[in-house]
Amino acid sequence: MALTVLRVGDEEKSMNAKNWFATISLAALSTAALTVSAWAFQEAPMLTEMVEAGTLPPVEERLPTNPTVVDALSVGEYGGTWRRAYSGPGDRWGPTKLMEERVLKWAAGPDGTAQLTPGYIESYSVNEDSTEFTFTLLEGLKWSDGHPVTTEDVRFWYEDIFLNPKIVATIDPTFSPGGVPMELEIADERTFTVKFAQPYVYFLQILAKDSTGEPSLDRPSFVFPKHYLSQFNDKYASEEELAAAAAEFGVASWTDLWGSKGAATAWWANPDLPVLTAWKIETPAPAENVTMVRNPYYWAVDQEGNQLPYIDRINHRLYQDPQSLALMVAQGQIDAQDRGMSEPYDFYKENEERGNFHLVPWLGSGVWSLIPNMNTTDEALNALYADERVRQALSVGIDRELIIELTQSGLAKPVQAAPVAGSPYYQEDLATHWTEYDPDLANELLDEAGLAERDSEGFRLRPDGKRFTIVVEGGDMALSKQLELIAESYSEIGIEILPRVIDRTQFDTNRANNDFDMQYLVFDRLTYVPADPRVMMGSESYANQSYVWYSTDGASGIEPPADSDFRKIYDLWDKASSAPSVEEADKSMNELIRTFVEGGYVIGVHGAGVRVNVVSNRMHNVQADLVMDDIFREVGLSRTQQYWLDQD
Amino acid sequence: MIAFILRRSLLSIPMLIFISFISFVIIQLPPGDYVTAYAAQLAKSGDYLSAVQQEAMRERLGLNDPILIQYWRWITAIIFKGDFGYSLDWNAPVSTLIWDRLAITLALSTASLIITWIIAIPVGVYSATRQYSVLDYVFTVFGFLGKGTPDFLLALILMWISFVYLQLDVGGLFSTDYQNAPWSWGKFVDLLQHLWIPLVVLGTSGAAGLIRVMRANMLDELGKPYVETAYAQGLSERQVVWRYPVRVALNPFISTVGWALPALFSGDVITAIVLNLPTTGPLLLQALKMQDMYLAGSFILILSAFTVIGTLISDILLAWFDPRIRYA
Repeated sequence: MALTVLRVGDEEKSMNAKNWFATISLAALSTAALTVSAWAFQEAPMLTEMVEAGTLPPVEERLPTNPTVVDALSVGEYGGTWRRAYSGPGDRWGPTKLMEERVLKWAAGPDGTAQLTPGYIESYSVNEDSTEFTFTLLEGLKWSDGHPVTTEDVRFWYEDIFLNPKIVATIDPTFSPGGVPMELEIADERTFTVKFAQPYVYFLQILAKDSTGEPSLDRPSFVFPKHYLSQFNDKYASEEELAAAAAEFGVASWTDLWGSKGAATAWWANPDLPVLTAWKIETPAPAENVTMVRNPYYWAVDQEGNQLPYIDRINHRLYQDPQSLALMVAQGQIDAQDRGMSEPYDFYKENEERGNFHLVPWLGSGVWSLIPNMNTTDEALNALYADERVRQALSVGIDRELIIELTQSGLAKPVQAAPVAGSPYYQEDLATHWTEYDPDLANELLDEAGLAERDSEGFRLRPDGKRFTIVVEGGDMALSKQLELIAESYSEIGIEILPRVIDRTQFDTNRANNDFDMQYLVFDRLTYVPADPRVMMGSESYANQSYVWYSTDGASGIEPPADSDFRKIYDLWDKASSAPSVEEADKSMNELIRTFVEGGYVIGVHGAGVRVNVVSNRMHNVQADLVMDDIFREVGLSRTQQYWLDQD
Repeated sequence: MIAFILRRSLLSIPMLIFISFISFVIIQLPPGDYVTAYAAQLAKSGDYLSAVQQEAMRERLGLNDPILIQYWRWITAIIFKGDFGYSLDWNAPVSTLIWDRLAITLALSTASLIITWIIAIPVGVYSATRQYSVLDYVFTVFGFLGKGTPDFLLALILMWISFVYLQLDVGGLFSTDYQNAPWSWGKFVDLLQHLWIPLVVLGTSGAAGLIRVMRANMLDELGKPYVETAYAQGLSERQVVWRYPVRVALNPFISTVGWALPALFSGDVITAIVLNLPTTGPLLLQALKMQDMYLAGSFILILSAFTVIGTLISDILLAWFDPRIRYA
């Protein structure tokens, strides 16, 4: 199973990536124009009924003039309910990632590669130095309530929300590179341009991952339904009206209606909110069964002119414990789900027949890694971590093959925390940097680093006379076996590891408070690094306090030493994020990645593992071997609107 | 008697306020707050809240205010408007979250309590009156086994048996198809198919303990002079045993009825989680983990209210049941 994420050919690599993406979208658009005009549109039977009953206009009036074409793996049948499960409000990314829409979105091509494809836009263009991005909305695009989507919705989003300090107190740096918020210019009813004060070559990729809301992740890019949301906005509604709206939703003030947890603007909480997604919420949480129903105005069709999605409803059943979910799977109650599957591969494999499902393997892009706290306040430990020989010894001192064999059913690879195979930033020497198990070398390196003295139990002594002990925290009981094996490996080279599995909240709080020696967690976002380089820069990771220092311009956090690699990494990102061309930006990016990996600041243990993805035998069009990364919006890469269920 | 009830009820109000305040403070004791927990949850899903966004969120949710002010806001809304506040985690008013679950929990627990009593009282009486008989030993063995086996383990075993051998749909109280459906015969049957596992688990483990208590109490009573007197009067064994010693032996059951109420809501969280039951336990646990203060606080407040009310009921029942207490 080869990992193929972005198989960029050599000739494409030499091209400006801006053109590369543009080529793909142009190709898609031309097929759209050709195929669609040749056929009449079809719709789901449940919608036909509504049309016949006179509650819905006919499909031609609901679809844009030239709808976006999603080339389905196979043309499907309409109908059915897709059964899934969710673990509570914190798990809303389960439903969310199924149906996010953007102006541009990552989607899997027929060969499994990730491609940026246009969403609800007809076209887009980027100027020469990547400071201006122009988008044209589809002609006849409509919200899920049938109201037209125009640049007035864009203006509303920009002026009344994005630049409204009562709703967005501080603009995220992602949308204000160099500290200057993006600017908006509207050309006509369908066309608008966003401008930046400096070149922003990775903007389209960031857009595909992050959208533009606040904090945004499940919002469409650039548009908010003005006809509905203006009643909750201080520019359009009076104070009494706003107070009444807040009371109606049961929140303290009208600003609570907004934001990622806003009662009125969160799509998964408010069935009245007009959306652009393939499905929309029907029964919101806290119901035991959270359901979504098809959006009759969804703006995409398959290659034969069938309006998407194929599936009528999605049902999310609440579960309290991962074991309950595993049981639901074994009992055949799940139609397609990869989220929350923590049981080992074998369990699912054994129950395939009983549960009438099969596993469609997807690949994880994350690498399970030991994260030493490079900002630790334990001075002796800090000095040891700062020594490259110690970091190398910590890396080559782990028997990765053994861990993979005993805990991963042999389905992962010993890799370093570096871009995964198939990524445009992949470098073979980095992926295997210091991953060869070599306890002799580790012992030698540690002796050289001044740790030759040992106590009566054979553990090394730190320069301050204490035993070289590292407390390793994990946030999940499932990790304890791996941590025990790591402890065993390290005891061979005279380092004592004390594994601690603690509550996840405590685990994250410890990192935020700079109160840990080492943690064991997944290092991800390793496919398209510039779409979110924060983890690689130490944020929420190996040097959180240094990253805080960088991101607050030195106002808080811990200042890294003048000659440290961290400063180099921050400089390289500054350079990459303001470079005028992709080549130049990528050059800095590659150097950043090299500096990070060769420094050995994070100790990758295993990765490229199989992601358990349970698919019932009734479900079709779930593509195999896709790479799951947050950057691609995980399951979103598989284009869920083209999934379909056998109808009998 | 009425004055006694009134006085006790009035006394419980300051008690409740005190408890609610303490619990509100305790919920906030662990490091971090709701925003930290929420940000951590986001990070787990691969998303980020920047420090600035976190601070803005804290400000918006009023988490930066002194705890006294937060408490005051919450408790006054409950007292004057019956509004339990807003669950930060669920994005919904607390009241929409808890009442359904409380009702299910109450129904489930009452049913299992009744089962407990139906099993424990006759068996306890039998064991005591036929001490050291074969059946007494059998009950004793099962009693100890039942007491020694953790509920969640029993739940797991039963689930495994019904899953592997009976091919039943287990977990939860309804199958997916019926969960959002209105009540119907089909839904009722579906409920019964799911209900037996939690009832067996919750009922038997309680019964195991109570059998021992009942047996010991009965043995204490059986040797007392009033029992001898009753026999001397020529009453049959059945009349003697059920009319006098059983009533006395039931005393501890009555006096702990009050505790049963809160135990119904907080107890067996693990079992509820394992069985995927839509009861209050898992919701409370989640609220505590997320530091979702208004939800967790409301639960604890309601639990305390039930404890206070339950104790009151126990006292009244006991006074009614055992004449000696009335005159003491």
